Amino acid sequence: MKLQVLQENLAKALLNASRFANQRAQLPVLGNIKLSTKKTKLQIASTNLEVSISISVGAQIEKEGEITIPAKVITELVSNLMPGTINIEAEKEQLKISSSGFSSTVSGMNTSDFPSIPQSIDAKTSIVLPKKEFLDALAQVSFATSVDESRPILTGVLFIFQKDTLILVATDGFRLSQKKIKIANLPKLDQVVLPRSPLGELSRLSEEAEEILFNLKKTDNQITFGINDTILSSRILEGEYPNFEKIIPKESTIKVEVDKDELLRAVKLASVFARDSANIVKLNINKGSVDVSAESSNAGNQKTKIDAKVTGEKFEIDYNYRFLEDFLHIVKGETVSMEFSSPTAPGVFGDPSDTNLLHLIMPVRIQS
Amino acid sequence: MTIIDQKAFWHEILESVKVSVSPAIFSTWFTQTYLIGLEEINDRFSVQVGCNSSYVKTTIENRYFGLVQDSLSKSLGKSCDIAFIVKQNPESTLKEGVKPIPLFETNKDEETLSSFIKAKIKPGFNFANYAVSTSNQMAWAAAEAVAQNPGNAYNPLFVWGGVGVGKTHLMNAIGHAILDKNVDAKIYFCSGEEFTNDIVEGIRNKTTQSFRNKYRKLDCLFIDDIQFIAGKDAVQEEFFHTFNAVTGDGGQVVLTSDRPPSEIAKLEERLRSRFEAGLIVDISQPDFELRCAIIQIKTKERGIDLSMDTVQLIAANIDSARKIEGFIIKLITEAKLKNLEVTQELVQSLLGKGVEETGKGVRANPNEVVSAVAKYFSVGKKALLGQSRARPIALPRQILMYLLRTQLQLPLEEVGRVVGGRDHTTVMHAVAKISQILTSDVQIRQDILGIKNSL
Repeated sequence: MKLQVLQENLAKALLNASRFANQRAQLPVLGNIKLSTKKTKLQIASTNLEVSISISVGAQIEKEGEITIPAKVITELVSNLMPGTINIEAEKEQLKISSSGFSSTVSGMNTSDFPSIPQSIDAKTSIVLPKKEFLDALAQVSFATSVDESRPILTGVLFIFQKDTLILVATDGFRLSQKKIKIANLPKLDQVVLPRSPLGELSRLSEEAEEILFNLKKTDNQITFGINDTILSSRILEGEYPNFEKIIPKESTIKVEVDKDELLRAVKLASVFARDSANIVKLNINKGSVDVSAESSNAGNQKTKIDAKVTGEKFEIDYNYRFLEDFLHIVKGETVSMEFSSPTAPGVFGDPSDTNLLHLIMPVRIQS
Repeated sequence: MTIIDQKAFWHEILESVKVSVSPAIFSTWFTQTYLIGLEEINDRFSVQVGCNSSYVKTTIENRYFGLVQDSLSKSLGKSCDIAFIVKQNPESTLKEGVKPIPLFETNKDEETLSSFIKAKIKPGFNFANYAVSTSNQMAWAAAEAVAQNPGNAYNPLFVWGGVGVGKTHLMNAIGHAILDKNVDAKIYFCSGEEFTNDIVEGIRNKTTQSFRNKYRKLDCLFIDDIQFIAGKDAVQEEFFHTFNAVTGDGGQVVLTSDRPPSEIAKLEERLRSRFEAGLIVDISQPDFELRCAIIQIKTKERGIDLSMDTVQLIAANIDSARKIEGFIIKLITEAKLKNLEVTQELVQSLLGKGVEETGKGVRANPNEVVSAVAKYFSVGKKALLGQSRARPIALPRQILMYLLRTQLQLPLEEVGRVVGGRDHTTVMHAVAKISQILTSDVQIRQDILGIKNSL
């Protein structure tokens, strides 16, 4: 293998790829990044066996070939070089890197043990997702996934493909976030649950991209995203996603609309004391106002009154302030709506300016 | 091969693979595999191997296929075809759902319960506690089909049969199953009489529209004892339109009646033809085996455990499901009040007191019973009431005493007097003996049924 490549391009690709190499893997080759040539491209690939990435970088190829190199070494080397052309030459299990005034020989490994990972995406069978809307929706949903590994299925985000609508759902069992995005000509696919980590990488990898390609291979249980020259693959989470539609309350007796920033400030103020008492804040809904209060047996107590549009009776409900805060952070509009039916049933939260967003939060039940 | 064998077998294969590869490769790739299935086809084995991810699959397929194949062939003694499939090991996902999560688990029971109440379905009646035997198998199968696929299987489903054979139970069970699958299904259960009252009320309060909203938009309408609407013109007309509206929107209609549509007098022709367009099934009186099953289910629900002998004793002596229920209640109350254990003797003594306290059963005077028994067994009345203790006479005589005692509820002394002036202890013995024989002897059960019918 012999080629020339620009440092700027290579350094960026290596930086992205190195996040997926697993230094501590039992199999040493998994801590490596694979370099291979394909026509006029240098392909940089790595995997941790859950997720894999393959990035193509334009290069001048003199001789084809492939090699794997420890991720950390090559990334640190290349990122500290001066911008400009770098010469790369692989011979047997060694990689020679040189640029003006610099030369290095790095020990690598041959590629035979490196797992085969998807290096291209079939554009014909892929769905084209508008990047901005998709990533925005993902950000409004994926924070609600569970971190508890005892229920693996909840650590992922559910994708439901409906006529012209992609529905993203995530829940950890205490709250649920759902966002719908309109996408024209969506093919009929089964719903899938994708792990959160590759979805989080999407936003980092797609800074320059306009669109994201989405390709589902059910037989391989694999999902592939194409972002310009980057191919990101991940396994699909297996298991049955809980029937979330059933728990979305159909009707509610109390409806509240408040200013988002005011509520966020009130929740933050309440959190000062709530932290001492199991994160509980109390919402007291009165005519025309909502009182947000928290108390701690050691530190004291507080109460914030905010104006609100209220329909329904007087009502009282307890929440974990973290869930409220998380929700308020993803709301883009100026106001938020809250609907309740009983102090033990989930509250429905929404953004009146964005009807595609739905958020449920389970109240805290205080044993009395 | 059982699951345990499969696991051990795959472990054995992996052990042999382990020898040939480095520990790191083994633990990275091979520990993520498991055996899905092993099948012998002709003289080859077809083996399905599950891999946790496609990376594992492609690596093993490309690099270690031969190795796995060698080990398998050696171990099985035949050549084999291997298919690798990306599928998570079911055992690793088993731990899912260990603990309930609040958002999904809360109020689930409450929710279903409230949906039951809304639909007026009795939650106690479901398929799980519905015993099936030849007498109701057809009806049960049809009901299951309707519950699985409401609106499509049989529409309408028309179940008819005598009292206490389980029509209402079956209908409730369909509703139960539908609600179990979908809490939000709009279903409603009412009797023909309630339906009538609703219409009358609607007409009186000028709220027929709300009546129509209530019934016509249902996914599933259950009407018990539909024969009550016969002869009521306005009700029949409203029902006709309701029926059309519900079935027209793909909804299911289930009806019960005490007789088939063709025999319901004063039923409008268009309704009759519609009923006949669906499936009409009948449930006959439960047979002995079914009664045994019913007794077991009912006693289990009430938390008592009867021995098989006792169950058979009750089943042999009581012939309808409702009476069985009544008898069990009586039995439990008796046992509780007197602080007795439920033994065969207790059951027998209760049976001996006569089951049919309502007097609904046989209404005949003792002489008619005597003649019926004599006629049935073709023995002379005189011989029957006489002194002979030969078997062909003595058994009919004991049956006669049993019938007089249990069906006519005559006092022991009176029975003795009717049957040729015998002692009350003789009667007691006869009753006990026949109730005992009934549990095991089909012939005698039929004899008694035959005599009862001839009365």
